[in-house]
Amino acid sequence: MLRMPRFALESPETLDDAVALAARGARLVAGGTDLLPNLKHHLERPERLVSLHRLAALRAIALDGDTLRVGCGATLTEIAADPRVRADFPSLAEAAGAVAGPQIRNRATLGGNLHLDTRCRYVNQTELWRSAIGGCLKSEGTVCHVVPKGQNCVAALSSDTVPVLIALDATLVLAGPSGRREVELAKYFTADGLAHTLRQPGEIATEVRVPRPRGPRACAYVKWRPRASIDFPLVSVALRFDLDDERRVTLARVVAGVLGSKPREVEVPATVAGKRLGEVAALVADAAYAKCKPLANVPYDPAYRRHLVRVLTRRAIERLATEPAPGGP
Amino acid sequence: MSAPKKDHVGGWHKKLGAMDRMRGLAKYTDDLELPGMLHAKIVRSPHAHARIVSIDASEALALDGVAAVITGRDMPIPYGIIPWTQDENALALDKVLYVGDGVAAVAAIDEDTANEAVRRVKVEYEVLPAIFDPEEALRSDVKINPYSRKGNLTKEVELEFGDVDGALAGSALVIEGEYFFEGTTHAAIEPHCALAKVDPDGLVTVWSATQVPHYLHRELARVLELPARRIRVIQPPLGGAFGGKSEPFDLEFCVAKLAMITNRPVKLLYTREEVFYSHRGRHPMRMRYRTGFDADGRITAVESQTTLDGGAYSSFGLVTTYYSGQLLTAPYGFGTYRFHSRRAYTNKPACGPKRGHGSVQPRFAMEIQLDKAAEALGVDPIELRRRNAIAADDLTINELRIGSTGFLACLDAVERASGWKERRGQLPYGRGLGVAGSTYISGTNYPIYPNEMPQSAVQVTLDRSGRARIFSGASDIGQGSDTMVAVIVGEELGLPLEDVRVLSADTDLCPVDLGAYSSRITLMVGNACLNAAQELRRKVQGSVAKRWGVEKSRVVLADRQAIDREDPSRAVPITQAIEWAESEHGLLAAAGSYNTPKDRHGSYRGGTIGASPAYSMTAHLAEVEVDDETGEVRVIAIWCAHDCGRAISRGLVEGQIEGSTYMGAAEAVLEVHAVDPAHGGVHAGPSLLDYRLPTALDTPAIHALIVEAPDAQGPYGAKEAGEGPLHSSIPAIANAIYDAVGVRLDELPFTPERVLAALEEKRKRERQSPREKLPLVAQAAEAEE
Amino acid sequence: MSPHPPSLLLTLRVNGLDVEVAAPPHYSLLEVLRYKLHLTGSKQGCDKGDCGACTVQLDGQPVLSCITLAAQAQGREVLTVEGLAGREAHPLQDAMDRFDAAQCGFCTPGILMSAEHLLRTAGREVTHAEAAHAIAGNLCRCTGYTKILDAIVDASTKTGGGR
Repeated sequence: MLRMPRFALESPETLDDAVALAARGARLVAGGTDLLPNLKHHLERPERLVSLHRLAALRAIALDGDTLRVGCGATLTEIAADPRVRADFPSLAEAAGAVAGPQIRNRATLGGNLHLDTRCRYVNQTELWRSAIGGCLKSEGTVCHVVPKGQNCVAALSSDTVPVLIALDATLVLAGPSGRREVELAKYFTADGLAHTLRQPGEIATEVRVPRPRGPRACAYVKWRPRASIDFPLVSVALRFDLDDERRVTLARVVAGVLGSKPREVEVPATVAGKRLGEVAALVADAAYAKCKPLANVPYDPAYRRHLVRVLTRRAIERLATEPAPGGP
Repeated sequence: MSAPKKDHVGGWHKKLGAMDRMRGLAKYTDDLELPGMLHAKIVRSPHAHARIVSIDASEALALDGVAAVITGRDMPIPYGIIPWTQDENALALDKVLYVGDGVAAVAAIDEDTANEAVRRVKVEYEVLPAIFDPEEALRSDVKINPYSRKGNLTKEVELEFGDVDGALAGSALVIEGEYFFEGTTHAAIEPHCALAKVDPDGLVTVWSATQVPHYLHRELARVLELPARRIRVIQPPLGGAFGGKSEPFDLEFCVAKLAMITNRPVKLLYTREEVFYSHRGRHPMRMRYRTGFDADGRITAVESQTTLDGGAYSSFGLVTTYYSGQLLTAPYGFGTYRFHSRRAYTNKPACGPKRGHGSVQPRFAMEIQLDKAAEALGVDPIELRRRNAIAADDLTINELRIGSTGFLACLDAVERASGWKERRGQLPYGRGLGVAGSTYISGTNYPIYPNEMPQSAVQVTLDRSGRARIFSGASDIGQGSDTMVAVIVGEELGLPLEDVRVLSADTDLCPVDLGAYSSRITLMVGNACLNAAQELRRKVQGSVAKRWGVEKSRVVLADRQAIDREDPSRAVPITQAIEWAESEHGLLAAAGSYNTPKDRHGSYRGGTIGASPAYSMTAHLAEVEVDDETGEVRVIAIWCAHDCGRAISRGLVEGQIEGSTYMGAAEAVLEVHAVDPAHGGVHAGPSLLDYRLPTALDTPAIHALIVEAPDAQGPYGAKEAGEGPLHSSIPAIANAIYDAVGVRLDELPFTPERVLAALEEKRKRERQSPREKLPLVAQAAEAEE
Repeated sequence: MSPHPPSLLLTLRVNGLDVEVAAPPHYSLLEVLRYKLHLTGSKQGCDKGDCGACTVQLDGQPVLSCITLAAQAQGREVLTVEGLAGREAHPLQDAMDRFDAAQCGFCTPGILMSAEHLLRTAGREVTHAEAAHAIAGNLCRCTGYTKILDAIVDASTKTGGGR
């Protein structure tokens, strides 16, 4: 079978130990469901892994006043099933429950999914395969096969939870050698497919904080993939509409993934304010269509996937329009 | 008689060895481990077409733990499953012909060391122009396969039966269409694996995940330059095959050679990527069809031109090229027929036989042609098929002798079960029903290498413990052939399945059987087994009759007893009966052979190819839902009625129907096996992430309906069930899509992009021609008028 | 001396028994099960988490052992297909046997591990749809899933009541 390269492994029991080990330049591994396939493809050859699996404190999910705190070690299965998540953040439960297949969700953690390496059809292949195309910016080469003459890697952000959490105004807590910091997830990702987060060497993501809705809200996660399981998203759009008591839109957030390496916040026309969901569906869908231009970095025709952004976004909003809004005090 | 029904022919049986597999006890090839075993890996080409300038293995050999490195020069004799097209080497000699072609092999102490050694083998290549399009290959002066005798043409077949042009000219309706099948692969979940060891006395034993131990045995002898008696091939429990393990592959030669060189056992397990490179999957075909009909919808003429994309090697391609035309001539009668098929070499993984070898692609085209004709003529598509159905014992236009046919019963069964009559035309826009029919062979009358010996043989013994043993060369590849032979022996000797042992697919222990391909095992091995079991039964009956002083015909073997038919109170345990018989005859052993009829084939050159002892018949009826905004096709349900002659074991036959229908549905909507010409011919995605097999959530409800039209050639009337029920699954879905949204999909697979593009094309047409805006039901009503 | 990182001495509870096994850190759980403990019932089909043939249970949860680091199973309960049956076949094995739900049997160990989790956590008769979701990470190439789903539903009628 495909074998991983050799590495040393440490499994610290405290976060401080883990940070100290990570600061010495080790690769972090939590559930390993993203890292291990990449290691088997020899996309990375770290000398040392630091496994976070013994850090039990990172697994907690807790309500803290107006904030839901989800430990980065919580598994996607746990998040998808958590009653607090389901009640206040159904789109997060939906996204976590739509990742890959059941066995992967039992291992994959929130922290791992947030840091899921960017993916590309020219990258996530074996060494032999990549050598046949001379590698690329993200592997052993110097060219991009997606954007000819491109200087930046545009491998696709393929996490299901990232667009959702950005739409929900989530923040991420990182513990590092110089202490803790909290960053807005909306500002955490970059357009560089080789290093698409602002995580610093030695930093460990510990917790995601999501503010609870203050009023009625409608959220959805749109994911398209050829199969109903296993596949990564090929289209992904997170939707959030804050509503007033009359169910009129007061705030709309639309965040798309699987374009380049950075999630795309779609600017929604101001005219949606004060309208009912059913009335804004096409408007928002058109805005998403205008802003989202998928690339040939993942399978299926980019123009087709762009078409899906519009159709599936509109349908998701239409569906929300017919559902009672969850949440709200 | 109190023998439980389940142990009889036609009953439902637990599969032999299934519990072993379900408890994790069965040892598949990769589960075997021998003392001192080395692990082998193959160095593969990153180029689609290149000359090998030099190979330097010195750095690999210098690595601690590396035992040996071999190259093509160590095994220079070419091989190939078809004796006339031996155009492969175990490892490339002078040229590599596709990305993934094997160049050298290493054996090392463990996998990690072997992988490192692979990295250290330095191969210098001179890159040559690569060709990925078969039409271009046929025009090109660049010769791909060095053994080719006709440029890049690997096989051409042109056959004509009757005056096709005249018939087309005189037809009331001629339907023309061009169809394209892009290619799919088997994707058995078990990757190929082989293990070899050399005994001190020189016997080379190869365990391999193969479905053709006998052909592997022959080719090993040829390439290793050893007498066949010095080689033993064993097929351990197999994790699926579907045609993907039906010829020798590089790994089997490499482990044997490396074991001979190192004098240690050597194992090689393909990575999933290598499974995709070894391929031998369904050929891409471009097919142009013209089909003529008279005013009543009877087929007057069929004319086809087909280009097959063969990939780098011939594999079974000679046969595939024939099958692309020869197997189309049932279940419908053709007034006249002409086909012209050409197979080209290209710089891709070689194509070969996948379940429904050679005839799934033309069946796709043909059944859509029929659907188009039914609409044009205003005839119900099932009715059109009924009108054209051939009858039992008919001779097809290309002189195949059809024995039994349950095709009409198949059509009736799917029509009834699906509610076709009540529902068709009543479903809302976006939902549709489609029908298609097909036929398939139950083995071939002529074996792959010409000889007059039996195609199948078994030995059956009975011993005083009351147990029957079957030594059978047949390969149980998951389809349950071991169970099938046990049921036959149990039926004849009155034994429950648990008293029947099957030892199969070991060339030292078992007589020759040609293997698990072309749906031959039930008919051929079943017949051989029946002969042997009946001979034993007669001996036992005779000895018992003698003891009892009655006529032999009064002795019945059932329920572990010998019973007097006329006085059922007189009975002895089977062990007693066997003791009497063994005392009289010596060891109770019988050899059974089966050879095919040699008087059932066409009287023209090529007329033997496609000739089978018996033909199965199939009808599929699919129900789909098409999202006209996204182009997504959801196959809701498929009813498949399959005439298998006689279901020897109902659960196993249903399993074949369900599995075949699933595989066809997967090829219809999801699966594509292709290379990327824009990137040097790399595989489009050699993994089970990128080559998408449907999950349980993506698979339609499948309703298996067994139809039995017993055939005189088959054991108890049985015909095949393993491949036929795939064919019409695909066009039934295509026709259902048309019924749902009014677009024809003439290219496979029906990806959402393609469906959407077809829908947009239709909308554009409708804007230009308002008449077509009528709802489909109204259009159909118009057509009826 | 080998320059490689040293092996780890792991203590796992496999199928109810404590085992100690030394393995290099880069070994997956599947590699330790198959190569070190000779528990070859868990299969390798795709190399990297795409097919589900390697599914085992870790602390009662189905996981893909081919993309789980063996070291992360340290001190934990591992259930493989070899540990599913007691003296009698597990009701799932029995149902799959009666329904002819295993053809080549290569995906079956993984499917059993996914399905056992469903039955144990549901504690009642399950539906075909629930069964399909439970095995949605297990690819079968032989059966079209029809008889597998039938068998899981049938087995759930026998395991559901007593909990």
